[in-house]
Amino acid sequence: MSANAKIIVQNLHKSFGDNEVLKGIDLTVAEGEVVAVIGPSGSGKSTFLRCLNRLEEPSGGTIVVDGADLSDRSVKIDEVRQRIGMVFQHFNLFPHMSVLENVTLAPVELGRLSKAAAAERGRTLLERVGLGDKAGAKPASLSGGQKQRVAIARALAMEPEVMLFDEATSALDPEMVGEVLQVIRDLAEGGMTMVLVTHEMGFAREVSQRTVFMDGGVVVEEGPPAEIFENPQSPRLRDFLSKVL
Amino acid sequence: MPDPYPTPSLARHPELLRRLGALLAVTVLAALAVLAGPTAAQAEPKDTYVIGTDTTFAPFEFTGEDGKLQGIDMDLIQAIAEDQGFEVEIRPLGFDAALQALQSGQVDAVIAGMTVTDEREKTFDFSDPYFTGGVQLAVPEGSDISSYEGLKGQTVAVKNGTTGKEYAEENAEKYGWTVDTYQETTDVVDAVKSGHAVGYFDDYPVIQYGITQGSGFQTVGDPVLGGDFAMAVNKGENPELVEAFNTGLANLKESGKYDQIVDTYLNADGGEQQSRDVLSVAATYWPTLVRGLGLTILATVVSIVAAFVLGIVFGFGRISRIAPLRWISTAYVYVFRGTPILVQAFFVFFAIPQLFPDLKMGAFVAGAITLSLNTGAYMTEIIRGGIQAVDPGQTEASRSLGLGHWKSMQKVVLPQAFRIMIPSFVNQGIITLKDTSLLSVIGLAELTYQSRQIIASTYMSSQILVIVAAMYFIVITALTLLSQRLERTYAA
Repeated sequence: MSANAKIIVQNLHKSFGDNEVLKGIDLTVAEGEVVAVIGPSGSGKSTFLRCLNRLEEPSGGTIVVDGADLSDRSVKIDEVRQRIGMVFQHFNLFPHMSVLENVTLAPVELGRLSKAAAAERGRTLLERVGLGDKAGAKPASLSGGQKQRVAIARALAMEPEVMLFDEATSALDPEMVGEVLQVIRDLAEGGMTMVLVTHEMGFAREVSQRTVFMDGGVVVEEGPPAEIFENPQSPRLRDFLSKVL
Repeated sequence: MPDPYPTPSLARHPELLRRLGALLAVTVLAALAVLAGPTAAQAEPKDTYVIGTDTTFAPFEFTGEDGKLQGIDMDLIQAIAEDQGFEVEIRPLGFDAALQALQSGQVDAVIAGMTVTDEREKTFDFSDPYFTGGVQLAVPEGSDISSYEGLKGQTVAVKNGTTGKEYAEENAEKYGWTVDTYQETTDVVDAVKSGHAVGYFDDYPVIQYGITQGSGFQTVGDPVLGGDFAMAVNKGENPELVEAFNTGLANLKESGKYDQIVDTYLNADGGEQQSRDVLSVAATYWPTLVRGLGLTILATVVSIVAAFVLGIVFGFGRISRIAPLRWISTAYVYVFRGTPILVQAFFVFFAIPQLFPDLKMGAFVAGAITLSLNTGAYMTEIIRGGIQAVDPGQTEASRSLGLGHWKSMQKVVLPQAFRIMIPSFVNQGIITLKDTSLLSVIGLAELTYQSRQIIASTYMSSQILVIVAAMYFIVITALTLLSQRLERTYAA
């Protein structure tokens, strides 16, 4: 599509043993675009997302993220990953470190920033996600929503070009979903390129510029959220929406 | 003589061991066994001879109150050495182990109250006999057994490999007794004291000496004389040593020194009777026991440190992406977890020097190697398990930030894995500490070994065992408390 595409996926296949989970996915995400991926459990949407920073090794096809060809075995994956932030369903904060150490670990260890500079940026990021007062706390003392906001700050500390969200609110109590969505919304408004795998249909509709419906390992339908949610074309999407809305 | 780490050691099943050794040798590396070949005989006279002996065969050799090895054999070989102008270095290995050591060239000769038999003469050359043994029956003081006739349907105890055992078995049918065989004189005596047997057959000097030490036994009938005690060398080796021994022995008999030595142990009327309550026994033998405990702790610490290193190497090997590393590490764990530590100790101490004559090591080195390898296998599993117990999401989060595999290990996975491992480390440490007691079989002079030596010469098994158990208990409890503090300190 456009010359400033941040993510280009072509004919992506992924199998676990005999089980083919992704059966040829094509998707391009432009710079600053927010794409929401929806679909039933087992549709392959999380696997698809995890292929985008090669936490899963694709079985076939090509993936280019921010100019780096991930399907090229010689690509320095650790360097590419520094440009791709990822947020997980279960937060995966490092429990033996303080909140601030979680955020500063990567920039310091990768030689990006001095300890002091990383701490300063870390505090700024924690302020941004509303947790300026929690810098010294241990993750175990935080609520789910607070943990996920720390996880987002941790990913942002590497100043990524792209952010991937893997069901970032699925493990949260309902009253905490809002605070996390607000942070993501702010990011979207700031022009961050994002791919969100989500179960929050209302949010997907509100925040994404494009919504992708996956089922059975293929993209069944994609388009502007208004069309996807109000005028679904395929029976499978209609069926899915009737269950979740 | 009394070497602080009485090098080698003891195993009481020569047949079994030899077969085991051979089996392992063949299984492990037949080719190397061929390369190793037999040890060459040495003929030139030496200034110092290494003499293997038993550990607990009072009155011929036993550990005295001062922790030094004494007895008829010891006094005799020293007197002969002095008379003939050579030095001796005594290795108290235990009877069977001493013979093993002789055959594998680790010692030059064995003097251990050994009876000359046709069977043994096929393998060894013997000196002139220095003592005529004989078998006698001992029963608890005040027992109403006054002849063999009263033993029908009863159980008698004997020590393995002794003429007492041979005698008891040859006559079992005639008198209708059952024979129970034990590995140590100490065990034989305790078997009778604790009622597992009504009496025991042993060499009469052994019984006699025990009575002078307050063993609480009396003899039944006269000794059945027979069996010449002599010093042994490998067939065709060290003939000049045998020669010197014979000449020296004749000189001692001539001068009356020989009778003096024997009387010291067999006809001394008790001397002052020792206090037998636990506290005074503990006080008397405290230095020896503390020395044993020191060696126990040293062996434990050395082994745990080495095992930790092995555990890290093989633990990472177990989860390596490189298949051959995984295979090697898995094989290591399976071999050392899948065989008893006793067999491993025997293998390291006896079989390896026979396969590779240059690899001779003392009991401490062999014991520490065995314990390290054994503990290392468990450490490997603890470390592998600890790493794998860390949520895979932790690695994913770290890798997705761009941190490499090893950086993620170092900063994210290992600190958490280490916390998970602490209780297992402590547990393994305690097991290792207790396992050091098994190394007494190869003559490592740790706490259990020392206690066995003391019991052998004093017959005070219940007192000594209480003291030793208390010492282990205190050390292990202290360790446990320490570890609980450690766990609290490191708790996330």
